[in-house]
Amino acid sequence: MQYLNNLKQDEKDIRSLKDRSKIIFIFFLILSFLGIFKILQLTVLDANLYIDDADKNRIIEKPIYPARGLIKLQNGKIIAENIVTKDLFIQKKLIESSMEQLNFLEKVVLDNREINLIALEEYKSEDNFLLLSSLNNQETAKFELNKDSMPNIKLETTLKRYLPQKNLFSHVIGHLGRLTVEEKKFLPRFEYPSSSFLGKVGIEKFYEEELKGLPGMSFIEVDVHGNRVREINRDLPSKPENITLTLDLDLQKIAQAELGNRKGAIVALDPLTGFIKVMVSSPDYNPNILNGSERGTSYESYLQDDAPFFNRAISGSYPPASTIKPFVGLLGLEEGIITQQTQIEDKGYFQLKEDGRRYRGWKEDGHGQVNLNKAIVESSDVYFYELSSKLTIDRISSFLSDFGFGKLTGIDLHNETQSILPTRNWKLGNIGEPWFIGDTINIGIGQGYISSTPMQLLSSITAIANKGRVYKPRIVSSVGSRSFEPEILYEIKIADEDHWNTIEQSMIQVIQSWNGTAHNLYEKDSAVIAGKTGTAQIKSLTDQDLTVREEYEEIRDIIKNRDHALFASYGPVPNPNLAVLVIVENGESGSAVAAPIAKKLIEAYQRIIKNYE
Amino acid sequence: MSNRNPLDYSLNKPLVRSFNPLSYIFKDLPLFLGLITLLALGLLMLFSASGQSISMVSRQLVFIILGLFLLLFVSHLKPSSYKNLLMNSYWIGIFLLIYVLINPASGYETSRWIDLGFFSFQPSEIVRLILPLSITAYLFRKDKEPQSKDWVITTFAALFCSYLVYKQPDLGTAIIVFTSGLIPIFLAGLPLLIILVYILIFSLITPLIWSNVLLDYQKERILTLLDPSADPLGSGWNIAQSQTAIGSGGVYGKGYLQGTQSQLDFIPESHSDFIFSVIGEEFGLIGMFFLFILYGFILWRVFKIGLNAQSNFERLISCSLGFIFLLFILINVLMVIGIIPVVGVPLPLVSQGGTSIVVHLVAFGVILSTKKPQL
Repeated sequence: MQYLNNLKQDEKDIRSLKDRSKIIFIFFLILSFLGIFKILQLTVLDANLYIDDADKNRIIEKPIYPARGLIKLQNGKIIAENIVTKDLFIQKKLIESSMEQLNFLEKVVLDNREINLIALEEYKSEDNFLLLSSLNNQETAKFELNKDSMPNIKLETTLKRYLPQKNLFSHVIGHLGRLTVEEKKFLPRFEYPSSSFLGKVGIEKFYEEELKGLPGMSFIEVDVHGNRVREINRDLPSKPENITLTLDLDLQKIAQAELGNRKGAIVALDPLTGFIKVMVSSPDYNPNILNGSERGTSYESYLQDDAPFFNRAISGSYPPASTIKPFVGLLGLEEGIITQQTQIEDKGYFQLKEDGRRYRGWKEDGHGQVNLNKAIVESSDVYFYELSSKLTIDRISSFLSDFGFGKLTGIDLHNETQSILPTRNWKLGNIGEPWFIGDTINIGIGQGYISSTPMQLLSSITAIANKGRVYKPRIVSSVGSRSFEPEILYEIKIADEDHWNTIEQSMIQVIQSWNGTAHNLYEKDSAVIAGKTGTAQIKSLTDQDLTVREEYEEIRDIIKNRDHALFASYGPVPNPNLAVLVIVENGESGSAVAAPIAKKLIEAYQRIIKNYE
Repeated sequence: MSNRNPLDYSLNKPLVRSFNPLSYIFKDLPLFLGLITLLALGLLMLFSASGQSISMVSRQLVFIILGLFLLLFVSHLKPSSYKNLLMNSYWIGIFLLIYVLINPASGYETSRWIDLGFFSFQPSEIVRLILPLSITAYLFRKDKEPQSKDWVITTFAALFCSYLVYKQPDLGTAIIVFTSGLIPIFLAGLPLLIILVYILIFSLITPLIWSNVLLDYQKERILTLLDPSADPLGSGWNIAQSQTAIGSGGVYGKGYLQGTQSQLDFIPESHSDFIFSVIGEEFGLIGMFFLFILYGFILWRVFKIGLNAQSNFERLISCSLGFIFLLFILINVLMVIGIIPVVGVPLPLVSQGGTSIVVHLVAFGVILSTKKPQL
């Protein structure tokens, strides 16, 4: 009985346990279903979503930047390349806590030279701060030996732009610089990460797009800490294009050497193509410093005021001075106001009939009886005062405009300054005064409101050399496989083609004739050069009571007020292959200072062509 | 039983079965084999999840072997012989929980670990199995129905344990400890009236706990569960990463050792609490279901043993442990897939962790010891 009772009790207990187990079990079952639905959702419904997520987690895309395109000369010589430099970096956030390491770096690696932390501002948007660029082998070795003591300082190798000729092509090629905040706004982030360099001036800027190429992409698998595991895939970057310049290395060297320490610019081009052979602006600078491929200063500090970054050849504005006379003379012939035989008497001054005001020529006693040829050869101011007073500003402006005065040449460089060719309206608009005949008279000798860039003046001179046809100045002959053909900028038709010869003959006489202003260049049997000197006044001679010489001596005392020396030329006639414009700031005498440089270049070019052939 | 077909082949069997040494040693061979399979699978996954660390796998193997020896030893004890020991083991648990609060292992933000030098462990991992066992032993300390006060005493015993865990602070585990204490109380026949009183008290104090007791980070943990994607790098990062792992594994998985989330360390704690997401990533839906089937098989054997045991005490011990085992599996899986908050519960018998392995295997030893001897 007891046993049966126990058995009954047992069965009751088991039933109760089973019932209660069922309750818990159902509760757990509900939870299990929740879990199973969730798992099905994850693995079946949304699997693709999570596959994407997993890939995004582990694959990072790292752009591969191609090495910047090379810049060469037509003979294959490389004048801008990329070199590997070793730079020291520190994470910006670590700078403050790494003072000891930085001191150690200064002491051990830099031989107690100090690190410049001032430039920190430039690195605003970057994580890393450049401590020292382009380490030399010795510094690299010292760093590698001691790097355990400077764990926060990292050595990185980067490609930097390097110009083997340093200063020689500084204004043409230009330099690279860091992305500015402004540039960052509109440049694609993928192509320009915040640490990138881009062309700031010169060819580097003008052909930035071509030189840069398009970045490729490396797909890298990383772990959760961002450590690289392996490269999964790689899209190769599209190669940038190399650029070939029309410049001639030897001529460029001569031009740079001839200018030396003087301020000024030399431009030379082949009048039959417009291809520029020389472009030098002085003072210059070393672009490698700005590119980070060399250490030091890009120019000496005393040159600060002389604007070494300024490309005088295309951005400098100068009065064309007497180099304008051939154009004005040509206009006189064309308009029939003068003939070759027309003579005037040059007594040293020109007096306006209207108000009796005298305009003095540069030669105090005058040139005596002067015709067009003599006026150009001896550079008589008085002749051109009178001629221009008859021509009127309207005709002069219109004619000079045909020759490109007051216009951009459209050379393939940035920062070309527009020359000024004044008209009545221009003066009214810019000066706020009506045009006076005195203004016209000044224009007649290339002074006053008129201004030219060396590039424009040279381009205009080639119109005479080519009898009206002017090719657009070009400094790049090819980009990648595309090469540029000469392009006609404008073609001037004149009523009497013979007038070209008349003017050219006078320009030849400038050198060949014993009384020519550049007769100092004359050598028997040497190449025939046509040229015109110019002396651009910075300060006008205004004092009517002093003689020209007296007043001039006064001005000369201050070097900055001394005249600019100009020489515009081409040769050898009759088949000119080089037109040269030389301007030496404060050089005073076009004939003594500027003309010999032009002659040297033309002659050197003949030898170069001969060697080439 | 009575309506046996005379043609039933079992009638032809001898009344007394021949002695089967395997059945004798392992008590329940299918359950034992199920456990071995699960443990082997766990080692395999641990190798993958640990970044193919042989040392971690060997360490785990040492604990597994130790645990299996204890399992076999315990399984051959008579439940009545260790009833008193179980009852008093409660005090061991309390001692450990208080000890860890006073003298926690250094290097952790919370006081959860006891460091024995060669080995450190969380007392709460032991307590969540000791507690239900001691409660069961207490309820059935005499061979009669539990008294009214017994229900209240055991409830408070569970509450006290869970309070000590909460002080570590570890809210999640505190809840789990309490739940594991509650399961045997409920199964043993907690009267309906008391249940209603408990529910009433619970619903009254829950709002108070939320606003007064819970720390900000605990609230935040609970809240991130509502939308883990809102804060992928903060507290929801773990869940987002483990969901990504499981989801990207799809139906078939990425293959053993091929899981990118696990091999590249995107899954946090992939060798311990989050090992389920490694299984999901590398073996897919199929792998996860295979694991569930294996767990289901083990649980089926446990409840079969439990319901067939000879005394209330034995039945209750096995069924309670079975449910607690299921509870841990559910909590871990639901946590890893992002349904419940992240709490520190390993995947039983799979996750890395010596204490967890040994304690669980000892629990299975207790279950096996309740198996009715075969005639």
